[in-house]
Amino acid sequence: MNSKKNDLKSLELTVGDVFSKNARLKARNVNVFYGENKAIDNVTIDIGSREVISFIGPSGCGKSTFLRCFNRMNDTIDSCVIQGEITIDEENIYDKKIDVVPLRARIGMVFQKPNPFPKSIYDNVAYGPRIHGLSENKEHLDNIVEESLKRAGLWQEVSDRLSSPGTGLSGGQQQRLCIARAIAVSPEVILMDEPCSALDPIATAKIEELIHELGNEYSIVIVTHSMQQAARVSKRTAYFHLGKLIEVGKTKEIFTRPKHNQTEAYISGKIG
Amino acid sequence: MFSFYLLTVILIISLLFFLLGYNRAKNLINSNKKNLHSLTHYYGIFCSLSALLPTLGVFFIFTICDDFIFAELIKEYIPDEVINSKDYNFTIVLAQINNSVEGLVFGTPPQWVTNAAEIWKSWVIKSNILTVIVCAITILTSGFLSYKKINSEFRSRNAVEKIVMTILAVSSVIAILTTIAIIFSVVFESIRFFALIPYDEFLFGTVWNPQFEGAERAGSGQEGLSQYGAIPLFAGTFLISIIALCVSVPIGLFSAIYLSEYASSKERAFFKPLLEVLAGIPTVVYGFFAALTVAPFLRSSGSMLGLDIASESALAAGLVMGIMIIPFISSLSDDVINAVPQSLRDAGYGLGSTKNETVMKIVLPAALPGVVASIILAVSRAVGETMIVVMAAGLAANLTANPLEAVTTVTSQIVTILVGDQEFESAKTLSAFALALTLIIITLGMNFYALHVVKKYREQYE
Repeated sequence: MNSKKNDLKSLELTVGDVFSKNARLKARNVNVFYGENKAIDNVTIDIGSREVISFIGPSGCGKSTFLRCFNRMNDTIDSCVIQGEITIDEENIYDKKIDVVPLRARIGMVFQKPNPFPKSIYDNVAYGPRIHGLSENKEHLDNIVEESLKRAGLWQEVSDRLSSPGTGLSGGQQQRLCIARAIAVSPEVILMDEPCSALDPIATAKIEELIHELGNEYSIVIVTHSMQQAARVSKRTAYFHLGKLIEVGKTKEIFTRPKHNQTEAYISGKIG
Repeated sequence: MFSFYLLTVILIISLLFFLLGYNRAKNLINSNKKNLHSLTHYYGIFCSLSALLPTLGVFFIFTICDDFIFAELIKEYIPDEVINSKDYNFTIVLAQINNSVEGLVFGTPPQWVTNAAEIWKSWVIKSNILTVIVCAITILTSGFLSYKKINSEFRSRNAVEKIVMTILAVSSVIAILTTIAIIFSVVFESIRFFALIPYDEFLFGTVWNPQFEGAERAGSGQEGLSQYGAIPLFAGTFLISIIALCVSVPIGLFSAIYLSEYASSKERAFFKPLLEVLAGIPTVVYGFFAALTVAPFLRSSGSMLGLDIASESALAAGLVMGIMIIPFISSLSDDVINAVPQSLRDAGYGLGSTKNETVMKIVLPAALPGVVASIILAVSRAVGETMIVVMAAGLAANLTANPLEAVTTVTSQIVTILVGDQEFESAKTLSAFALALTLIIITLGMNFYALHVVKKYREQYE
């Protein structure tokens, strides 16, 4: 009852359809504070299962902060306070009963800069399954590693040097290794925080292709600075400005017929 | 006093050249109505430095060389019967003359010493006059030449850059040369030692007993009495170092992990300086602590358990030395753990690692080479440590692996050998240099290895 009233309140702010029919993640009236600073202001949005959604907006609009709320990465920042409700499969992830460790296994994350561990390629991918005890034996672990690398489109390039260090790969390969590492723990959702911003166009194209394929199996939330990228990889797009969610909608519509004048200003390059 | 006055005058004159150069540049700008290549003060600095530096060089060459030249020349004035006498030693004679020059006279020196001193004094005056003349010529010519160089085409900024670079390069060369000189001074004395004692006996002998000089000289003829086997000393050194590491590595490393990963920034700001204070305590104070507090405590608690612990034991020295090197390990390890990029921690948390898993499986392995380097540096510090051992571990050169007994180390033996009046020709005194040489080689090797490990570590994230 109460939540319905709040939904209406946020609808006043956000243009477009924030709700999704088969929602996996639901954020309701989320506020994020860094100390006194309000970084996210009353954001409500659904993220459907097997959906690729991109968050766009000018620098400092809070899109990355909001992304990090979904796997509680903001917990590592002391001054950060989060209000509101975020649920995964109707389970509130900020509930006191929830343990962040399995939560983060369900919601994987890929970061802005490729950050492979200074370990071998094999150990990088095997790290998650090992700490969560997902494999019964060595053979099973080998299978998980191979399967994850294949899905990340890296297997052909590295199958003959699994024991060489992950840091020795090229930037694009490192980022795909990080994606393989994230999917090795079979998450339900993958959060990507500007995954291509440190990569060259060819590596970017490969990652985008990969996101496209992975979108058939996972829910993917991608924060990006590049509007072209958002247009290429995602079905839905959400536009953030100054901590507020301004507009959500089908990617095509956002880029061709934005309803909100701020969205239009950003798309046409007037702000940003 | 003479040198001081001369130096002051040289400095004042080079300041004057600064003004000259500066004014000339100003005038050039005014007369040409065009800016020069460099800012005006660069012309002043150029003038001043090119007057000052060669003059300083000349000055130091003169002041250093004249004593050597006088010492050679004064030989003429030493009577033949003194030179031919049995216990003639030029160094001592020279010291006598020098004392007489300084006015330090003990008793009545022989007439020839007083004469030589008079001659020496007259040489000093002549050389001072010569120094002044040469310095004056140098400073005026080089200053004037550089002053003449200043015209609208001259690029004084580049010239000053070159001079500054040369000064910096010379400073680093001095630092390196000093290290080399220290090593050589030890090497030459060691060569004299190894002429008396074969090196294999020194390196592999198991008995260290240099105390029988008197017996040897008294003609007892039993050379075997005095033995220079360094193994007990190195064994003692390593026993104590190992005990020290057993204390300092876990405590230092764990406190580094706590400080860098778990402590809030407030706690960190409070604890880190406190830990580093440990490094500022003079080692002689640690020595008191070891000898007066730790050793009696160990002895009494040992006797309660039925253990016989010597009042000077390797254990007491090792424990206290371990405490001393905690800050080396904790501070350096803290730095390398902090240098592990936050992105790696984020990756760990993002995959659902707990804090402990992230620290143990990601951060520490990534920081391991740096941590190892900090431990190696701590080891070379422990091996070279002297005061604690002298005060707490005793001087008995026992070859033992039992930490409850008294042992001795290389450094404390060097101290005991060289303290007091020593005859420089004897193997006992010279053995100190052989020990020092071996120790230098070991610690240098360790430092090189540590630097190598650190370098390898640096390459990893680039």
